[in-house]
Amino acid sequence: MGEEISRLMDGELDDEHLDVVCAQLKRPDGLAAWSCYHVIGDTLRGNTQLAPGFSQRFAARLAAEPTVLAPQRRAARPLSVVWAAAATVAAVSVVGWVAFGTLDAQPTALAKAREAAAVRAAQLNPNRTADYLLAHQESSPTMQIQGIGPSFRPATATAPAAGARP
Amino acid sequence: MTAEVAIDKPVLRLARAAALAVAALVAAPAALADDAATWLNRAAQAARQLNYVGTILYQHGGHVETSRLIHLNDNGAEFEKLVNLDGPAREVIRSQGEVRCYYPDAKVVRIEPRTFRNAFPSLSPQQQKALGEYYAFRKAEAGRVAGLDAQAWVFEPKDGLRYGHKFWSDVATGLLLKARIIDERGEVVEQFAFTDLAIGGRIDREMVRPSWPPAPTDWVVRAAGPGDVELRDTGWGIARPPPGFSKIVEGFRALRGKKQPVAHLVYSDGLVAVSVFIENVGSAPHPTGLTQQGGTNIFVRQFDDHLVTVLGEAPAAAVRQFAASVTRR
Repeated sequence: MGEEISRLMDGELDDEHLDVVCAQLKRPDGLAAWSCYHVIGDTLRGNTQLAPGFSQRFAARLAAEPTVLAPQRRAARPLSVVWAAAATVAAVSVVGWVAFGTLDAQPTALAKAREAAAVRAAQLNPNRTADYLLAHQESSPTMQIQGIGPSFRPATATAPAAGARP
Repeated sequence: MTAEVAIDKPVLRLARAAALAVAALVAAPAALADDAATWLNRAAQAARQLNYVGTILYQHGGHVETSRLIHLNDNGAEFEKLVNLDGPAREVIRSQGEVRCYYPDAKVVRIEPRTFRNAFPSLSPQQQKALGEYYAFRKAEAGRVAGLDAQAWVFEPKDGLRYGHKFWSDVATGLLLKARIIDERGEVVEQFAFTDLAIGGRIDREMVRPSWPPAPTDWVVRAAGPGDVELRDTGWGIARPPPGFSKIVEGFRALRGKKQPVAHLVYSDGLVAVSVFIENVGSAPHPTGLTQQGGTNIFVRQFDDHLVTVLGEAPAAAVRQFAASVTRR
């Protein structure tokens, strides 16, 4: 289920599966996974400032809704959970903490989601993306007009994970 | 491999007539493409030849990061130092083509392999043509960036397979002051801008040296070996790249932690590039899917025993199309 919710967030889900996943979102564990993945994405993007009592107000308004609708596309594309997993395991534990701090419902589902993210993080080689970005950027024409500075910025931003001891 | 199909004569004649009509149509954008290419060349020259010191603001998603950039051209030899000003300290030093990244907290220095960069010093005629065909290039408003008089230029995409780009260049020198990538909804995907910049001042070699000695004894130096980049036929190809994208470079590169060299193909529409990496990973499943970082989309898929990673400053639809049409020649 988590996989499909993650794909829904990334806008990768085809129409066929959309109804199925939206139905899952009506269940508490589905909703918790949805919320958790967004918190993970928001945390990795650094958008963690929520107004006090946000989750309570959100829960109250949500309860008042007759049904859970397919969410609108966000202005900024959410980072996919795969990308989220590319961060260090340490980052994931921070995410978990934030997730628990923000959402007080369904801790079990959240714990599962966190576990899944941690497992994926452990599987992925964070060096891979960083190395690919570096290798790519030096080949890009845009790089030639920007010089090393701007183009290397995303790569160095990725590097904390890559910078871990070999 | 291009698919050859048997074509009967009338169809061939029709195709020729169509080709002539298309040639007449593209004659007009060609002049525009010249302008665009001239502008890009001037910006590239300025970035290489001038001496400058400035602070760069990089914004993507909800992130804002700042870094300090120092660039020196000492009689044709280029030196550059980039230091980030927030978060854990990072330093990137470029010295006559060699790139070193310093991670003081992890005590790691990475020496990047020699680049593909010199393989294509300027745009090929094909890329210039693509620029004119797939982007509308125009002069936009005059303004100021980092206290300097700036002229804005826009590359507006003509299809959904590339982003829009807006650049602000210094009126006096042509140096790029600000760059913005805009998606199909008009949203800014990422932006780079100098917030302060001094061009043409005196810069010593000392200012572009790394802050740490070449190899501190307790640091790990991860160096790329010789022959890490080998330009040659990889046996891989893209059957149907998005229109306007042509291959600009192909080869194998040794990447850290990989037993075998990774095939690397680079495609460009004259403005942006999309890289395709193909590596043998055996049959074990790997995480796949789409990822985004600023204006860069990354799509990973498994192809038989290989992992295909496509990444570039292009919309998700474009990187997916690359990934979907990977072929073994």
